[in-house]
Amino acid sequence: MKKILLLLVSVMFTLSSYGQSSIDYSPVNTVTQVGDTLIMKFQYFKVDGNDLTLGQLDFEYNNKLLSYISHESQAPTGASFARNNWTGYKYVPKADSDEDDMDVQYIYWRDEAGNNSYEAGADWSVERITIQSASALENGQEFVKYSFKIKDKFNSGYSDYSDIIKVNWANYQESDGTQIQTTRSKDGQDLSGIEGGNAGAFVINLKTANSTKTDYSYTIKNGAGESVATGTFDESGQASVTGLENDITYTAEANLAEDVDYLDEVVTVSDLALVFAEAIGAGSGPSGGSTTFDYFIQDIMGDVVGDNNGVDFQDSYEILAYLQGVDSSNTNLITQDGQTEDYSGIESTYGAVANDVVTFVKSFTPTDGTTNAIDLAHGLRGDVNFSHSWTPSVESGGKSTSARQSSARYSKTQSEDANIDLISEINDEGQVVFSINSDVEGMVGSQFNIVYDPNVLSLENVIFDTGNTMTNFSNIVQNGIVRVGSFNQELNSTVKEGTPYKLIFTPLETIDNTSGLISFRVKEGVKADGTKINFIIQ
Amino acid sequence: MKKLLLLLLTFTILIGCAKDDEFLEPITNEEIPQSLQIKELIGIKLENTIVTDRVAMNVKLPLDGKYRIKIRHGINNELISQEMIDAEEGDNLLRVYVASLDKSGYMIQLTDEFHNILGNQSFVVN
Repeated sequence: MKKILLLLVSVMFTLSSYGQSSIDYSPVNTVTQVGDTLIMKFQYFKVDGNDLTLGQLDFEYNNKLLSYISHESQAPTGASFARNNWTGYKYVPKADSDEDDMDVQYIYWRDEAGNNSYEAGADWSVERITIQSASALENGQEFVKYSFKIKDKFNSGYSDYSDIIKVNWANYQESDGTQIQTTRSKDGQDLSGIEGGNAGAFVINLKTANSTKTDYSYTIKNGAGESVATGTFDESGQASVTGLENDITYTAEANLAEDVDYLDEVVTVSDLALVFAEAIGAGSGPSGGSTTFDYFIQDIMGDVVGDNNGVDFQDSYEILAYLQGVDSSNTNLITQDGQTEDYSGIESTYGAVANDVVTFVKSFTPTDGTTNAIDLAHGLRGDVNFSHSWTPSVESGGKSTSARQSSARYSKTQSEDANIDLISEINDEGQVVFSINSDVEGMVGSQFNIVYDPNVLSLENVIFDTGNTMTNFSNIVQNGIVRVGSFNQELNSTVKEGTPYKLIFTPLETIDNTSGLISFRVKEGVKADGTKINFIIQ
Repeated sequence: MKKLLLLLLTFTILIGCAKDDEFLEPITNEEIPQSLQIKELIGIKLENTIVTDRVAMNVKLPLDGKYRIKIRHGINNELISQEMIDAEEGDNLLRVYVASLDKSGYMIQLTDEFHNILGNQSFVVN
């Protein structure tokens, strides 16, 4: 009898504990050809789970085989819907766990994985959908439909279309926040029988250090200089071009849009240090001399005055004036908010030196069966540390170590991490104090681009405690963004440790706390030897 | 034996139906909206997961003291905003201001002064 009782209690416990819902995903239409549009639906099934009011799902797709076209919310009337996406990441499932167990994977991401939940993966893009409703969603409610263009697997590195979409985790919650156990309908989405491809489409692969590839456009011109094809790159940095003729020579160039919101993060104090070091030690242009640069192309990128005379003090002071927010009255070529100066060329020869001239060869000739793709490299003026630009790979583009006569090596390739603490709080006077606390030694420069909500906070003061020999700067880049930093032009004094920068804000309304009001974008330092310091905040 | 079984079963069902918080010290604050109530003794909760401009937040703490509220990027976990609060034991109704954050997915995190994690919640700026 005891056994029966135990069994009864166990069954009751099991039934009450293991009710679960599911996230289903499947194609809506049949696709057979490269270039076809695949429509995928993502759908909730209640099964025996509890009522769902918050549904969040995270999936990844292979961006070498699929190109995102659009998405369409299927959220019921009155529900909120949000979509996020990031390219260049791939989910790392929880070790020794069931990858189909979606709530376990979600909690792993939320509470356990920290920095380890996603790894860099250029072939993958992550999508995240969130739907929140005041009332419980119906069984079978679709969350979203996605449209993808099927890309040619030729030269993609993949031999088939298996597992091209995978749901990583799902966060299903009841109205009181209780987690609903969830499983997924399949490990991954496969496609079979896809035909076509490698039959005329010409592919351009964009090469840049910038992670946002969709901000770039391409232009292809014929021998007469007439534009024959234009367009934008997809999230993976690819563009598929049709209509080019074999054995005809064209030119290709890439350009970054001038209205993107991160252009004032391209040229920073790290670039300034490299240009100052070059001006102090060299300034002799592509011929080498006592140069401190690693690549000849840096002589072009660092020539922000545009006098075609390599890098000299005029360039370094121009960048310093730019960071300080001072009008030098010169017309400069520094990449900045609303302004780009693009360089692009075929990657295999990008930045090569021929007859003492840095070159950006743009021509290519499609050839049936042999040449149906090019790699197109792109760089920006002023970006001498290649933070948003492609680093040349061609051998003749590199400056040999023997060409350097300076004992110090200034290199964009050197970087290190250091911990700092950036924190905001409300002081006894009701002001919001944002403190930058640093114990990093040996920094000849540092820069912070601080973003704040100008509708809630007014910047009153910036207090510097960087030492007596630093040139400090603080300027409003645009409404709600302030650039703060320091630099020592002789490269022989360093930013004082402690709290070198303190920003004082006055609230424009009554606030009890400051969460989200102040955030940080650029946060970097540079040492006298050119080493860039990437600040890590715990 | 049947009576005993019936009694045991009834007792089991009664225990199963009882609310968990009947066994805990009552800490319910009637001023806390249902959407911000936190069942556990410690935690962080936003009124909505999809947020524009600003959103109410409850931070429930075990002790008076200094705590950190961190906002991390939703894909690479990078810290992008952090504040220090001096808060009281129990529920603390606060706000998160998101108007100046990029539209993206985020994680809001409650830690003690020494970065020990006490709670997490994902949210989206739309």
